[in-house]
Amino acid sequence: MTEEKDKDEKEAFEKSSGKTYSLVEMVKAPLTMVDKGPDDSIFSFPIVAIWEAILFLGMMVFLIGFSLIKDAPLEELANPLITTDPAKAPWYFMGLQELLEHMHPFFAGVALPGALVVFLLLIPYLDQSKAGIGRWFTSERGKLITKWSSIYAMIVFPAFAVIDYFFPPREIFRDVFPSWVTQSLIPVTILVVLAFLPVFYVWKKGEGKATARELIIALFTVMIVAGFALTIIGFFFRGPGFEMFWPWDMPAGYSPLDNL
Amino acid sequence: MLRNNPLVQKLVNSSVWKSIFRHGWPDNPLDRSLIMTQNVFLHLHSVKVSKKSLKATYSFGLGLLTTFSFLELTLTGILLMFYYVPSVERAFVDIVELQTTVPFGQLLRNMHRWGAHLMVIAAVLHMVRVFFTGAYKKPREFNWIVGVILLLLTLGASFTGYLLPWDQLSFWAITVGTSIAGYAPVIGPPMQKILLGGAEVGQESLVRFYALHVMVIPTFLLLLISIHLWRVRKDGGMAASEISDENEAA
Repeated sequence: MTEEKDKDEKEAFEKSSGKTYSLVEMVKAPLTMVDKGPDDSIFSFPIVAIWEAILFLGMMVFLIGFSLIKDAPLEELANPLITTDPAKAPWYFMGLQELLEHMHPFFAGVALPGALVVFLLLIPYLDQSKAGIGRWFTSERGKLITKWSSIYAMIVFPAFAVIDYFFPPREIFRDVFPSWVTQSLIPVTILVVLAFLPVFYVWKKGEGKATARELIIALFTVMIVAGFALTIIGFFFRGPGFEMFWPWDMPAGYSPLDNL
Repeated sequence: MLRNNPLVQKLVNSSVWKSIFRHGWPDNPLDRSLIMTQNVFLHLHSVKVSKKSLKATYSFGLGLLTTFSFLELTLTGILLMFYYVPSVERAFVDIVELQTTVPFGQLLRNMHRWGAHLMVIAAVLHMVRVFFTGAYKKPREFNWIVGVILLLLTLGASFTGYLLPWDQLSFWAITVGTSIAGYAPVIGPPMQKILLGGAEVGQESLVRFYALHVMVIPTFLLLLISIHLWRVRKDGGMAASEISDENEAA
């Protein structure tokens, strides 16, 4: 590997070095520098250091600017006797709170988010291929799968929330089925089917050639976009009584943005 | 050039300077290597990086942004600790006083609040980026796991901080949030009780959330962020550096 070093580097090392040893590394894994021409990389100092400093300063400027414009919310002193209406969790849990409206709390609050975390942890072991590392969406097919899964989830999950809100099976079938059917079986089955439909489509369409990566892209995209959509609905479209309203048309002077 | 300035010359040639920085002026490959390897902070980077991994539209700097917002939150958080007592009698009054009488107190609190939201958003987007660029694949599987845990810790840090102002917003948000944990079978109710220190949100909850927020979670965050960044190097830098291999093979 040493003969691959460019001339500048050689001279520099010889000039200032009284050392009797040299830096040699045994490489088994495909590391950054292996089998690469010298043009492929640059010294981290100073370019990377400067860009990082710029990013940090830019972030600070943004945060200070935003903090000058908008104050952090502070309501009345906490009072356990007076419930706020609506009572909302922090914004990043609004997707879960929205789910709570549609099914038994065990599934909305424990089973589904738990399954999501387990899925995230398993991703690198479900997809063992090395194809497309470092390339956005892996391939053109991957890009298409991401695009259509996003559009699909952006339509289907808000539709699920709205339809279930206006025609809740736990009310409609209250006297027909036991509560575990109406509160758990029906909504969870619908949600799981909706989540796996794109995966099934990719698998079917690929005629056995769809890679694990492609199937996982479909599932991951659906989960992320569904989480995003439900968070938006819970945060912006739920008002007093946790009923659905247009964000600009909330009753009683309630503004979703006050919950940040 | 700065380097030719006689004062700068004198400074960098002084024995004090040389006792701290064990490398020369970084204008040649050797000293540019040494400046990275001889500095505990800079050595989180490799000496050289792939040009591809520096492309802004590859990573969007989201991992850096998450780390930087953690630093910003640590700084503003330490300052906030000087003005805040986690008791149900004092907490809310302290926040009001911070905002009205402490110089730049409102700004300080705003920066901590918005910085926290920024960190959550940046961490989620960073995960999305890593997923879509396939950067979790071998040999980076374990670092993905560390990243998922870091995301959960980030949510935990934000959630525990949410209670501290002790206003109606924080009280009911935590009441709603922790009641979700209570729905887990068997372990749910005791978990909820351990977290709250009682049946409902009160003084014990405030102290527990405070300790978790300022000590426990940040310690684990710092530890895991260190492992996360170190593993990026050990796993061969950012995944973008492997793109050309793929193209050649194809």
